[in-house]
Amino acid sequence: MGDRGGGCCPPMDLFRSEAMQLVQLIIPMESAHLTVSYLGDLGLIQFKDLNSDKSPFQRTYAAQIKRCGEMARKLRFFKEQMLKAGFSPSAKSLGETNVGFDDLEVKLGELEAELVEMNANGDKLQRGYNELLEYKLVLQKAGEFFTSAQCSATAQQREMESQQMGDQTLETPLLREQETATDLSKQVKLGFITGLVPREKSMAFERILFRATRGNVFLKQVPAEEPITDPVSGEKMEKNVFVVFYSGERAKNKILKICEAFGANRYPFAEDLGKQALMITEVSGRISELKTTIDAGLLQRDNLLRTIGDQFEQWNLMVKKEKSIYHTLNMLSLDVTKKCLVAEGWSPVFATKQIQEALQRAAFDSNSQVGAIFQVLHTRESPPTYFRTNKFTSAFQEIVDAYGVAKYQEANPGVYTIITFPFLFAVMFGDWGHGICLLLATLFFIVREKKLSSQKLGDITEMTFGGRYVIMMMSLFSIYTGLVYNEFFSVPFELFGRSAYACRDLSCRDATTVGLIKVRDTYPFGVDPAWHGSRSELPFLNSLKMKMSILLGVAQMNLGIILSYFNAIFFRNGLNVWFQFIPQMIFLNSLFGYLSFLIIVKWCTGSQADLYHILIYMFLSPTDELGENQLFPGQKITQQVLLLLALVSVPWMLLPKPFLLKREHENRHQGQSYAALESTDETLLSVANHDSHGHDHEEFEFSEIFVHQLIHTIEFVLGAVSNTASYLRLWALSLAHSELSVVFYEKVLLLAWGYNNIIILIVGIIVFIFATVGVLLIMETLSAFLHALRLHWVEFQNKFYEGDGYKFYPFSFALLDDEED
Amino acid sequence: MGFLVTTLIFAVIGIIASLCTRICCNRGPSANLLHLTLVITATVCCWMMWAIVYLAQMKPLIVPILSEGE
Repeated sequence: MGDRGGGCCPPMDLFRSEAMQLVQLIIPMESAHLTVSYLGDLGLIQFKDLNSDKSPFQRTYAAQIKRCGEMARKLRFFKEQMLKAGFSPSAKSLGETNVGFDDLEVKLGELEAELVEMNANGDKLQRGYNELLEYKLVLQKAGEFFTSAQCSATAQQREMESQQMGDQTLETPLLREQETATDLSKQVKLGFITGLVPREKSMAFERILFRATRGNVFLKQVPAEEPITDPVSGEKMEKNVFVVFYSGERAKNKILKICEAFGANRYPFAEDLGKQALMITEVSGRISELKTTIDAGLLQRDNLLRTIGDQFEQWNLMVKKEKSIYHTLNMLSLDVTKKCLVAEGWSPVFATKQIQEALQRAAFDSNSQVGAIFQVLHTRESPPTYFRTNKFTSAFQEIVDAYGVAKYQEANPGVYTIITFPFLFAVMFGDWGHGICLLLATLFFIVREKKLSSQKLGDITEMTFGGRYVIMMMSLFSIYTGLVYNEFFSVPFELFGRSAYACRDLSCRDATTVGLIKVRDTYPFGVDPAWHGSRSELPFLNSLKMKMSILLGVAQMNLGIILSYFNAIFFRNGLNVWFQFIPQMIFLNSLFGYLSFLIIVKWCTGSQADLYHILIYMFLSPTDELGENQLFPGQKITQQVLLLLALVSVPWMLLPKPFLLKREHENRHQGQSYAALESTDETLLSVANHDSHGHDHEEFEFSEIFVHQLIHTIEFVLGAVSNTASYLRLWALSLAHSELSVVFYEKVLLLAWGYNNIIILIVGIIVFIFATVGVLLIMETLSAFLHALRLHWVEFQNKFYEGDGYKFYPFSFALLDDEED
Repeated sequence: MGFLVTTLIFAVIGIIASLCTRICCNRGPSANLLHLTLVITATVCCWMMWAIVYLAQMKPLIVPILSEGE
């Protein structure tokens, strides 16, 4: 690994990941907690787990972690209770802090006990209250039933009597007299049960009762108008008040069992009217009494929850911090004397001073006798990759990281992605009307950035919000390319002067057959508006956009290969310069660089040469005369040289590198005995070197290296062709976008306009807006985004990017919140 | 306006933009180099786009043929 810079320029931000170092901290036991806490505030060190062989229960601070877990559980319980009661923990943290960890634990325990007791009491009271409510309902309903039954019974009796008096004819049943007589003598006292049964079970309840007693019951049900809270489950449900009449003890027992099975609550009921009234008043009194008690209890509970809510966030944060501190402490190894903790971790080089400062502060604040020792270890292990991004660059860096995290200090494609990604997007999305819409949408997010970043958003909004600066750049470039394509919702404007084309003569007869003629200088900026809607528009745009895709593609691929040169220089890898970078450059440019050159020459000279023909016959018969396809003098010999160069560069890429690597390896093995001396003065660092030494003496497998190089070469040679072809997606998507917007403009907006009818026009405008937003602004944005992503990940990055590093995850309290969710 | 003049204008805009970033957000040599790279990349991209479209229309092989309807 080379040093930084080494050239004329200062190191570029973001181009290389931060220089990292493996540091060792030896922290006295008594100040360990505070030290780790300060380092967490700083958030610039990634601790290594030195106890990976120990299970979580065997570690030093397992008990403390368990305590933290218990506290976190209590806090979750409080949160649940607060949500149930409809409070949200207040976001503002109060000034008063510095509750000790132990104090907090005690306090949380007390609060939990209090809350649990309150809840239990509240539940009990609530249950009693609900029971009383049900009872009252039963009293009312059953009372109504009894009075109405009594009324109807007396009426029936009266009727019967009058009947008996009135017509004692033959129709009178003979038995009736007897019956009533025997009835009176044998009269059995009928028992009854009253209660409530859930409505959905009432049918089954009735049926079972009937079957169990063989029909010897009389059941009367009255539905309660409003849903009632069930005292047992605490849920609201529809219920029926029922009265069952039965005779005999056995029937009663059966009925009681059935009631129990159906969850029907029974309530005592007096037949006597006077008693009923008495009971109703008594129950009502008790209800109102209970109500005030419950209200008072609730108020007390609310107050308690509110006081908890005020400090909830603070406590929550504190518990999380403590837990993470103990987790980190568990990763440190205990010194043999058991007086020190030894920590190892990665930290950026620039943070050395800050870390040392934090260590001193911790030692001072904890009144420790000795300060912590900070030392840098040397290792051959690959350090983590850490880019210092800001809110603008982070989204672009994430685009790159989604493909693969950069190897340590490898050239970061993220730097160029910031510009080229939105640019390639815009090549496919070129329309300045749509660009402005997109810009307004993203400006909304950017303006409300502060507000939105603090609140929780939906999945899609969250994603859009995260990429707001990417979208902003995309929309800005879209506006630019839209101006170049001269399209505003597919309508061209003569913004930069007059069209270069005009009719051949005044009558303009030829305009639809032969075409217009170029009378002025070329339209200075972008596509001439005269093309729009003409019959030759599509052939012209096809040719233009196809050639543009190839030119842009070749340029970007060249940039990729040039970055591989910077990598090779940075890592002092001369082999990669001579046997990878140079032949790759030659190969790509002798074929597709030459094609780009031909395109430009053809444009500049206005030649009619067929470029396909030239390129194909450059391979098939390089010795043939070019004839009318000659674009410049000496073209034939140039092509032969280029072809030769391309052919030579393939074995150049393939063969020398593996052999040279082999020789290098052999040389190193010979000189091994000398290398051992060098490491003797690094005795202090032997611990760190120990684990990494193994990598150095890897087996050198020549066949493996050779196959790898073979694959690499084939990949590059085939890739040069297929990647260039892949850039044609720029042409396809940009054409699709412009054609779609033309369709929406002409077939919807202009068609509706043609009817001269205000309603049709309004409908047309609405359809146009929805089509534009739904298809062009959302769908097309997504597809153009994905294609730009692919062009960067595959076509650009495979030229130089290894992407096999791992990310730097510092121990930081600021990152705690994200982890939780 | 010819090709060279507009190219010059692009170059001038690029230089002005890089000066602006240098003056407005001067955050040390490393950050300045990043900003400069970004501005140059953006300028080159925009210039390429314009130049391609301009060159393609310089010596037209086909000309606009108006549709029958117009």
